[in-house]
Amino acid sequence: MKTMNVVLCGLGGQGILFMTKILSQAALRKGHDVLGAETHGMAQRGGSVVSHLRLGNARGSLVEAGAAQVLLALEESEGYRNLPFLAPGGALFANTSSPAFPREEIRGYLAEKKILCRGVPATSIATAMGASLSSNLALLGYYSAFAQDPFNPDDLRETIAEISPDRFRDANLTVFDAGFQRAGEEKKD
Amino acid sequence: MKQEILLGNGAIALGLLEAGCQVVTSYPGTPSSEILPEVIRWVKSESLNTYVEWSTNEKVALDNAFAASITGKRAACCMKQVGLNVAADSLMSAAYMGTKGALVIISCDDPGPHSSQTEQDTRFMARLAKVPVLDPSTPEEARRMVALAMDLSEEFRIPVILRPAIRVCHARQSITYGDLKGNEKKGSFEKDPTRWAATPRFRLLLHGELNGKLREIGKRFDTLSDYNFHTLESGKTYPFGIVAGGVPYAVVRDLLMEQAREDIPVLKIATPFPFPAELASTFLEACERVLVLEETDTLIEYLLRDREKVLGRLSGHVPLEGELVPQVIHHALNHTLKELDLDPMEGESDPAVAELVKNLNLPVRKPTLCPGCPHRAAFFAIRKSKPKAIFTSDIGCYTLGLNLGVVDTCLDMGAAITMASGFYHAFSQDGVDQPIVATIGDSTFFHSGTAGLLNAVYNGARFILVILDNLTTAMTGMQPTPALGIRADGSEGKAVSLERIVAGCGVDFIEVLDPYDLKKMSEVLKKAGEYLKEPEGGIAVIIARHPCLIAYREEAVPEKKKVVITEDCAECNFCIDRFECPAIYHDQELGRTNINLQICSGCGVCLSICPKGAIVEAA
Repeated sequence: MKTMNVVLCGLGGQGILFMTKILSQAALRKGHDVLGAETHGMAQRGGSVVSHLRLGNARGSLVEAGAAQVLLALEESEGYRNLPFLAPGGALFANTSSPAFPREEIRGYLAEKKILCRGVPATSIATAMGASLSSNLALLGYYSAFAQDPFNPDDLRETIAEISPDRFRDANLTVFDAGFQRAGEEKKD
Repeated sequence: MKQEILLGNGAIALGLLEAGCQVVTSYPGTPSSEILPEVIRWVKSESLNTYVEWSTNEKVALDNAFAASITGKRAACCMKQVGLNVAADSLMSAAYMGTKGALVIISCDDPGPHSSQTEQDTRFMARLAKVPVLDPSTPEEARRMVALAMDLSEEFRIPVILRPAIRVCHARQSITYGDLKGNEKKGSFEKDPTRWAATPRFRLLLHGELNGKLREIGKRFDTLSDYNFHTLESGKTYPFGIVAGGVPYAVVRDLLMEQAREDIPVLKIATPFPFPAELASTFLEACERVLVLEETDTLIEYLLRDREKVLGRLSGHVPLEGELVPQVIHHALNHTLKELDLDPMEGESDPAVAELVKNLNLPVRKPTLCPGCPHRAAFFAIRKSKPKAIFTSDIGCYTLGLNLGVVDTCLDMGAAITMASGFYHAFSQDGVDQPIVATIGDSTFFHSGTAGLLNAVYNGARFILVILDNLTTAMTGMQPTPALGIRADGSEGKAVSLERIVAGCGVDFIEVLDPYDLKKMSEVLKKAGEYLKEPEGGIAVIIARHPCLIAYREEAVPEKKKVVITEDCAECNFCIDRFECPAIYHDQELGRTNINLQICSGCGVCLSICPKGAIVEAA
């Protein structure tokens, strides 16, 4: 199998490491070799945080610029900042409530490279579910509606149930489902 | 066999316990901090009797592990690369003395740098000390290399360094592992003053012995085919080859495999010192030119002595600073291939997109102190009380006091104090009365504060020292400090009082306060300033004590205050610029300054900062 590359980004404290953990664990459950790279240390105090995830026979933990099939951004600007990671034909899912998403300046590039681009109001979805700090799960739920094995909704759902701490399990699943449903509604439109 | 997705640091921890390491010491520092906690996780889950400790600094950690190793036990000590500078005194001498059991030093490098003062290369430290160094490419290889390092150290009675770079330490990989072992070998100490207390006369002999060990280990490394190997076909010659080690090897291997470039042979060197010279000669003979890809400096490049054939940093083909991320390697490789009239690799990323993103003028994301951080309160009071001071500071979360204009210097661990005394004498020599306020964290003070404070007191320096005591080692992941009386594994230790240490250093002015009380903090700063000027005055120490909000989620803000901004707000931005709390922001939609209640900690410190009194508690 060709290596599958995912880049996750956002700001320190938004739960990027947990989102990465869910995806890695889901892939491991399906028997994939998993390799990833994380940001620790000072940047976790609100700085830009990026996490890389690679499935397949890779040895280097970093995704090369231009080689990611998927970019998940918990914050719009961080999504733009990490755009160089996306491969032609890749997909960007960004947490934003801006009607102007994606910004005018990059629309030409996205079209030329055939990049699927979806703005997801993940923070609003999570807040509506009473878990304002769980935009990571809302974004993941939304993404799962577009994803394929090993990241399809059922696999991710089972993984979230397995690895969430007891006191957050139900809330995490509720927010994940709300994100997933939002994608379904938009697909119908 | 069990399987788990682990951080590279977790894989290293597993390797230590699989190899039967009996003593593990460490001082936390990114990217090494998770090794000891991961060791402890298994020590607990597998009920092992491995001895673990957070030592007060890296030299202390190394000395402790060294002593265990000369009783015949297997010992390890973990730190970040700049920590090895602190332990260098110990390392240089331990190399000569040798071990009896095993001593493995794990020193984690930070090309980038992401979270360090320098991009220094531990492999050079190994060369300087004359000890073998192993350079893993992946977490899995790091795990296996720990066992190799232990065996080598024990067989040759020599300390061995494992040098994982940040992309090994903080990579995550699925790892399969076997049985773990605890304290299985009894220690004993055979007195031998000519070795363990060697005088210079015996040191010369020990140096000769060390050189002999290195010769033998070098030969061993030539045939260590699991780790050092090449992909030459026998009898064939090549216009171009790659020599790579560590993380860059993993990147090169992926790139060549994805593009099926079998025309480019690779020499992998996982043990750059002592250098596997014979293996390297074979490779160099078969290739007209080679490109060296290594992190972070030029050790392999120096050791490959043919300056005609060897390309790399010294020849300008590889950047001299910064991390060798995949796109940088891809670019360096293509640049070289084109220069040699060879086919470049495909799929190099489009540089136009980087330009496009640059033109978006995205906001710069500076790391900031957390909402409610007690350091912010202390810094605010310091700047307000002593606006003309030189602010010497140190290494930890509070280096972010930079954003508040209250950190002017950050040299190395403990330098807040030593630089403050240095500044004092430099100005006082000129007859200038320059106010100086030094800030240092509690853990950093325990690490390297006392020698500098003793020195400053003894030599008559005068400055204010604020110890920012948040009752934890916050930046590296909430490790306990000696003041807490909690040891690495959670067991009870003896709590050591910060106040008593400061008093023991000869300081007569010591005030302990809660920096949330800005008024009190300002009063004490004023009093401290006056004390400096008294004939019998000296150094004034203020211990600003309030628990870290991450480490002590429940206790840190016992009474949460709901804060609002009233119509009196003049939009002067004083709070945003000078207090820099992430919860206070300019709301674009409302067109005014606002509080983000989602992230506000309710500490209420901001209630007393607004010049217009517009920040108030909600009714």
